[in-house]
Amino acid sequence: MFYRQSGIRHTRYEQDRRLWRLPFDRKLVALVCALAVAAPFLLSDLYVGTYLMPWLLWTTAALGLNLLMGTAGQVHLGYGAVMAIGAYGSLHAARAGVPFEFSILIGGLLAASIGTLFGAAALRVKGLYLAVSTLAMQYIVDYTIVHVPAISGGSQATLQAPPVRLLGMALAGDAAYYWFVLAVCALVTLFILNVRRSSYGRALAAVREKDYAAEIIGVSTFRYKLSVFWVSSFIGGVAGTMFAFCYYKAVTPEQFHLELSIQMLATVIVGGLGSVMGCFFGAALILLAPVVLNNLISGATNTFALQVGADLVSHAPLMLYGGLIVGFLLFEPLGLAKIYDNLRNYFLVWPFRHSR
Amino acid sequence: MRMNRRSFVGAATAAATLPAWRLADAQDAKVIKLGMCQDFTVVYTFVTAEYSQGQRDYFTLVNERGGVNGFKFHLDVVDTGNAPQRGIEAYERFKREGVVLVDPLSTPVSRALVPRALADKVNMITTFSGRSDAADGETFPYVMPLSPSYWSQATVLIDYIRKQEKGNLSGKRIALAHIDTPFGREPLTLLHVLSKRYNFEFQAYPYPPPGTEQSAVWTQIRRVKPDWVLIWGAGAGQIASMKEAARNGIPFERIASVVWLSESEMNVVGAESAKGVLKFEGVAGGREPKIIQAILNEVQAKGKGAGKPEIVGTTYYNIGVMAAALITEGARLATAKNPKGPISSEQLNEGLRSIKNFTAEGMLPPITITKADHQGGGKGRIAQWDGKRWVPKSDWAAADQDVIWQMIKSASDDFKKSGK
Repeated sequence: MFYRQSGIRHTRYEQDRRLWRLPFDRKLVALVCALAVAAPFLLSDLYVGTYLMPWLLWTTAALGLNLLMGTAGQVHLGYGAVMAIGAYGSLHAARAGVPFEFSILIGGLLAASIGTLFGAAALRVKGLYLAVSTLAMQYIVDYTIVHVPAISGGSQATLQAPPVRLLGMALAGDAAYYWFVLAVCALVTLFILNVRRSSYGRALAAVREKDYAAEIIGVSTFRYKLSVFWVSSFIGGVAGTMFAFCYYKAVTPEQFHLELSIQMLATVIVGGLGSVMGCFFGAALILLAPVVLNNLISGATNTFALQVGADLVSHAPLMLYGGLIVGFLLFEPLGLAKIYDNLRNYFLVWPFRHSR
Repeated sequence: MRMNRRSFVGAATAAATLPAWRLADAQDAKVIKLGMCQDFTVVYTFVTAEYSQGQRDYFTLVNERGGVNGFKFHLDVVDTGNAPQRGIEAYERFKREGVVLVDPLSTPVSRALVPRALADKVNMITTFSGRSDAADGETFPYVMPLSPSYWSQATVLIDYIRKQEKGNLSGKRIALAHIDTPFGREPLTLLHVLSKRYNFEFQAYPYPPPGTEQSAVWTQIRRVKPDWVLIWGAGAGQIASMKEAARNGIPFERIASVVWLSESEMNVVGAESAKGVLKFEGVAGGREPKIIQAILNEVQAKGKGAGKPEIVGTTYYNIGVMAAALITEGARLATAKNPKGPISSEQLNEGLRSIKNFTAEGMLPPITITKADHQGGGKGRIAQWDGKRWVPKSDWAAADQDVIWQMIKSASDDFKKSGK
């Protein structure tokens, strides 16, 4: 049902290698894209500016981390620091008068070069040890930002972001910023989707499965480990820049603390390691669930005039949120993307049950 | 009762539309809506519950007495978990619901909201939190600290120490044990300036956040034998500071703290053994102030209190009352000018910025907010823990405001230049 395969014959290699091989998948993607583009006309600017936009931003960052963790198998606990480097780098560039188009690249390149430096640890250590050495990156970067007033912006430690001007046009209003964020997110998504079917992606997969086996079949782990840190840190830097310019509009060190790194890690794991769609689902759960649960519970207590203590009202969403994460991971350890995949597989062969 | 699909959908629709109906109901010209998006669950847990209870109780008191000039307050309280993006979400939602004032009570959230509040012209109060340079009302017209900034607190503390040393600080050693975050580092520049002005030796000892482990710092402090130690932290960090001070033999009478020190922290350290600790106080503590008595008699006694009765009159509760009282005074001035309502954000701003010599019936130092000065004068006093309660040791006063205003101007000039 829905995902109909009968009568679809791929007669050329290009057809078989397409990103979405079934017409239904393509239509679904087109529909989602159309809805995303039309969102400012369909939803109030509250939802566009404070739900959709941060969702896309978090997804963009998660995609970068997922390339590193899911595709290449390298753990990173300091991704928030990478984003901070991007944000501060581009912000200082923009304040020095560099046009935004170049500032965002400067932020990305700065994050990429420093991220690669710390990524070099991956050449010697793996797994938990790599996690701890990237955690060190988080602390070193945090410390440097807070302790160098030239970076953090003096005693108040806040820097205002200049308004974004693209090709000479200033972005005005939530919708313009949203479309810009959407465009960047779409670009990163397309890039990550395509990485997987390139020789680069296959080399990363080889490194992920066993690095010395990869070396034996001719994949230089040295090159690929460093380059994947470079690419994912670049994406992280760009995402950090977008956070700073499009969403927060003022940067403080607290925005990029360890909590953000943990959030990103959770997004990637809950969404599904190595899955592009998982990043979207994961970001939706990790980022938006606390807000939605909070509003639902306080709405319910107000509406039905429940006699509940303020403590419970503020802590109940946290419990539910934790429960949701544990529940989803128990139900499907491979993440939210896998839940969608199971559904799709079910409908692919419906009414038969071969996929079970 | 078994629920079929149709009744489920029906019930869900009803549940979804009910809040909307209630909202429409509250759209009254004589209601002033306030949005309290605060951190109840993550970092500011040590203060928010008590602070918020104070605010809610005070607004209940005002509403029970018939409001200000016939206007009543409607409070929306929501948890942000100290996360800027959740603060932004709450702020944007409030803004669309007609909220004219928000109170984030969190440094990261308020910093993320500053550009939005200035652009949207929504009042944001940052009592004892947020940017010190927001005292410059010309640069930050809609950001309202309404309280002595951390810089002002440091000058009041140094002034008290100077008086204890008979006006002469030269050659004295003053140490600062502070948490290594932007909040903890805020007084550094100022204290360096003051050390030149009064000729004392100043040394800072940062400890890493969250501040529960400070033993290394305090052995260093012991070695230099300071005459006075300032402690600059919050919550668990303050408790660890006092415990380490005791372990290293530093007398409590020589320890002076930033505003974040309350009864609950003293009880954890040991109420009796912590005798002598000094702290900055921006609002009278305890249950003696008339307003607190009124809350006890007219709100708590009638069972309308927002929380446990034993919290009433604690330090952070009273700070919450102070914030609420200042908002109410601003609203009183605004409604007197616009008796028909509804009160817009600009009108409330106008009111808040014309508060003059307001003492909340003796609970506060006289506070005057002007278009230039959003800090309200920076007056405070020193209180000492006597084993049971905080006893005031000095009169309400401000000190060295000239240095502070120089720093405020240079910081706010930086702000004006940025963001273009």
